[in-house]
Amino acid sequence: MSSRTRIALSALVAGAALAVLTAFATTAPAPVVAAKPGAAGTTAPAVPAATGEKKESISTADHSKFKELQKEFKSGPEVTKACLTCHTEAAKQIQKTQHWTWEFLNPDTKQTLGKKHIINNFCTAVESNQKFCTACHIGYGWEDQKFDFTKQENVDCLVCHESTGTYRKIPGLSGHPPYKDMEFPPHTGKIVKAPDLAKVAQSVGKTSRANCGACHFYGGGGDAVKHGDLDSTLKNPGKYLDIHMDKKGLNFTCGTCHMTAGHKVPGSRYAPTAADIKDAAPHLRGKMVTTNPATCQACHGAKPHPAKMARLNDHTSKLACQTCHIPEYARGQPTKMSWDWSTAGKLTPEGKPFKVQGSDGHDAYDSKKGNFTWESHVIPEYIWFNGKVDYTLSDTKLDPTKVVQINRFEGSPNDGKSLIWPVKVFHGQQPYDTVNKTLIVPHTFGADDSAYWTNFDWDKSLAEGMKVAGIPYSGQYGFVKTEMSWPITHMVAPKADALSCAQCHSKNGRLKGVQGIYMPGRDSNKMLDIFGWGIALLALIGVLIHGGIRIITRKHEG
Amino acid sequence: MLKLIGGFIAGLVFVGVLAYNFMGSLMFREIPSPFGVEETVARIQQNIQNAGNGWTLAGLRNPAKAVEADGGNALPVMMVEACSTKYSGPILRDDTVRFLSILMPCKISVYKKNDGKTYIGMMNAGLMGKMFGPLVGGIMGQVAKDQAKFVQFDASKPAPPMIKATPGAGAGGAPGAGGGC
Amino acid sequence: MTTERIHVFKRFERFWHWSQAALIIFMMVSGFEVHGAYKLLGFKSAVELHTIAAWSLITLWVFAVFWHFTTGEWKQYIPTMEKVDAMFKYYLTGIFTHVPHPFRQTTLTKHNPLQRLAYLFFMLVISPVIWFSGWFYLFYADWSAWGVDKYLSLEWVAFFHTTGAFMILIFFIAHIYLATAGHTPLAHIKAMITGWEEV
Repeated sequence: MSSRTRIALSALVAGAALAVLTAFATTAPAPVVAAKPGAAGTTAPAVPAATGEKKESISTADHSKFKELQKEFKSGPEVTKACLTCHTEAAKQIQKTQHWTWEFLNPDTKQTLGKKHIINNFCTAVESNQKFCTACHIGYGWEDQKFDFTKQENVDCLVCHESTGTYRKIPGLSGHPPYKDMEFPPHTGKIVKAPDLAKVAQSVGKTSRANCGACHFYGGGGDAVKHGDLDSTLKNPGKYLDIHMDKKGLNFTCGTCHMTAGHKVPGSRYAPTAADIKDAAPHLRGKMVTTNPATCQACHGAKPHPAKMARLNDHTSKLACQTCHIPEYARGQPTKMSWDWSTAGKLTPEGKPFKVQGSDGHDAYDSKKGNFTWESHVIPEYIWFNGKVDYTLSDTKLDPTKVVQINRFEGSPNDGKSLIWPVKVFHGQQPYDTVNKTLIVPHTFGADDSAYWTNFDWDKSLAEGMKVAGIPYSGQYGFVKTEMSWPITHMVAPKADALSCAQCHSKNGRLKGVQGIYMPGRDSNKMLDIFGWGIALLALIGVLIHGGIRIITRKHEG
Repeated sequence: MLKLIGGFIAGLVFVGVLAYNFMGSLMFREIPSPFGVEETVARIQQNIQNAGNGWTLAGLRNPAKAVEADGGNALPVMMVEACSTKYSGPILRDDTVRFLSILMPCKISVYKKNDGKTYIGMMNAGLMGKMFGPLVGGIMGQVAKDQAKFVQFDASKPAPPMIKATPGAGAGGAPGAGGGC
Repeated sequence: MTTERIHVFKRFERFWHWSQAALIIFMMVSGFEVHGAYKLLGFKSAVELHTIAAWSLITLWVFAVFWHFTTGEWKQYIPTMEKVDAMFKYYLTGIFTHVPHPFRQTTLTKHNPLQRLAYLFFMLVISPVIWFSGWFYLFYADWSAWGVDKYLSLEWVAFFHTTGAFMILIFFIAHIYLATAGHTPLAHIKAMITGWEEV
């Protein structure tokens, strides 16, 4: 009996020790391993990039040696004609894309979207303001509805492919760069130089961050205004801002993820991939895939954390990667958070428009546009999102007593297609038709008498905008509160900066308002807690009383 | 007797633990700000400049930038530094308390927390001062009074611009005054 | 009264008891932190250590079950209703007036009838609740692979796990107190350490 006990005992000790040891062995070394790649990333590849020397091109073609480009160009379309002599299919490819049409038919919702059709709560709408807005169109000459979308030389090759950094399209020129030096913005004394088109044309190459950024960093009317996770600090980002684009590290371009073929850029916000749940990274060489290459999972798979952090992989069925790995957006500079058009139009005693700056140096008021607020390092809002977005379009009836959702992100904890996503919610207040209950397309830019930025007269501006857009307008307007959501997906932080467990698993954590999931540390059954702690307390009181009586009765005897 | 001593020791330990636990919150104060980080900083700077008593801005530090330069992220933190020679002078002249120069210049920290709100962190100068005798206690009491005014905001006034440079510290600044603390 | 010393708790039993006690106390502390009751170790550490402790306890139990069956000690837990009423009566009144304990410990019957019932309740009710719910809690990510995701929700798994935890806490309070209810307050505790009980 006793020898058997002894054997069992030693076996138990060994087993327990083994269990404890293996358990520790799998957790303890994790930080060491985690530190390694980071350390390597900061030192190894830094040397060549840091010197600032121009990298040797790996292209087989030096465009500066091409006869077609060695001449004086008078306009953008002339350059395009030269490009098309060799790249015969390029314009045709472009003309099929959203970048050209500014139009997108959502196959799910059947809504016709795209910049051409949407009314947002920034500069609101393109219609009637093309000359200004099409500074960000990859074309030349879209100044009104008569623009010829089939003309090949209207395609702007340079804005996406030039590498001099001198080619700039100025609002008001219908997508053209200035062909002679001009003052911009007006009355500021700042001169924008006309680019040397031949030099620019000879500089073409692969699209860089700065090329995409020329428009996408400045959406909504200025640097960092619109997205919050896209702004000019991504031209040369540090590691802290974007682990993938880190100029001394991986140095990704936009195209590294938005893997473009035949000028088709995948990963549009109009049809986002909210949940890309696969076990393995699908985008391998030679593997035919039709899925979105721009998702995190496309490269990292659905179980991206190493075995030592396996518990984190348990989160991928509910959380978008971005939720933890982009803990704050606008980390490079402040982004615009709200825009109130209703206060626009105040003028100086001399009748001149003016601007007021906030403490951070950004515009807090502009007579042309109204009041703004800005914020950096913004904590995102978190919502269930399944990739479906429902827009309030120019013909959608709205309820002015409520905040109008310009784009409503659909999703639920139970549809099996949603993940919890970080979003930027942009708050606006903008004109609407109080009779027809629709959003309004204002005519803001132009030299004519009805443009708001010229005459500060809403009646004329709104009537003209609606007339040009061909939307019925009652002539009665008011201002309605609006919200527009933007998925946060760029500016992925280094892994050390990802959210820690307790930032969500706590009573007042980041996901405080997200319904439909049970989160340990955040949630509990209130009744059970009351009962459990209550009975435990009663038991404690009971034994204390019982013990007390025992002590008293003992003393009596003593 | 044993019980009495035991009770006394237990009491001491209890007070000790309590003091240890609350020391941090006694020495420092944290209050929420109704404004964003930059505007809070700008308004504090304006208050300091209007405070009189020899107060001048001594600098504006951004420790989060150093973290960013190192490839990491930190929520915004800005430290407004202010100095008044009226208060610093007597302390700096007294050998027994000169080590308190470590507390100079006066710092007020403005930072964002994970709830997205802005907070102001300050030293409890009054309490700290009391620990170092009547001279320091008196001066620090005055500092504490002024400091309380630095963080009183008039929201009806427009937001002033944030002063990034250190006034007086640059070329041409009056020596001994301003940012020289 | 003549006293006699008997060896009631074998060495393995004592090792099992105390290591289990340590693990259960630690799991209560870390578990209620994961539940959000307080902050002590930090959520991440609490989860990790709770998991390690769970695996350690499982290992310990495997050995304990093996030991109980090979040694025949499992019979100690066969319930009996005999003298249960006498036990209740003793704890309610007799203990205060110092009447003799209605149960006499021997090496073959080391648990009194109330203990037998309580431990059996622990093994047949509390343990399954805590282990089953804990198992599904731990392997939350594998529910869909196991095909059980349609029938389970984390909310209910957590509910049962917390229920089990509260039952253990209440058991723990009563157990600690009754450990002092020997013929001297420390008699049972000494016995659990040395193995020898005076009867």
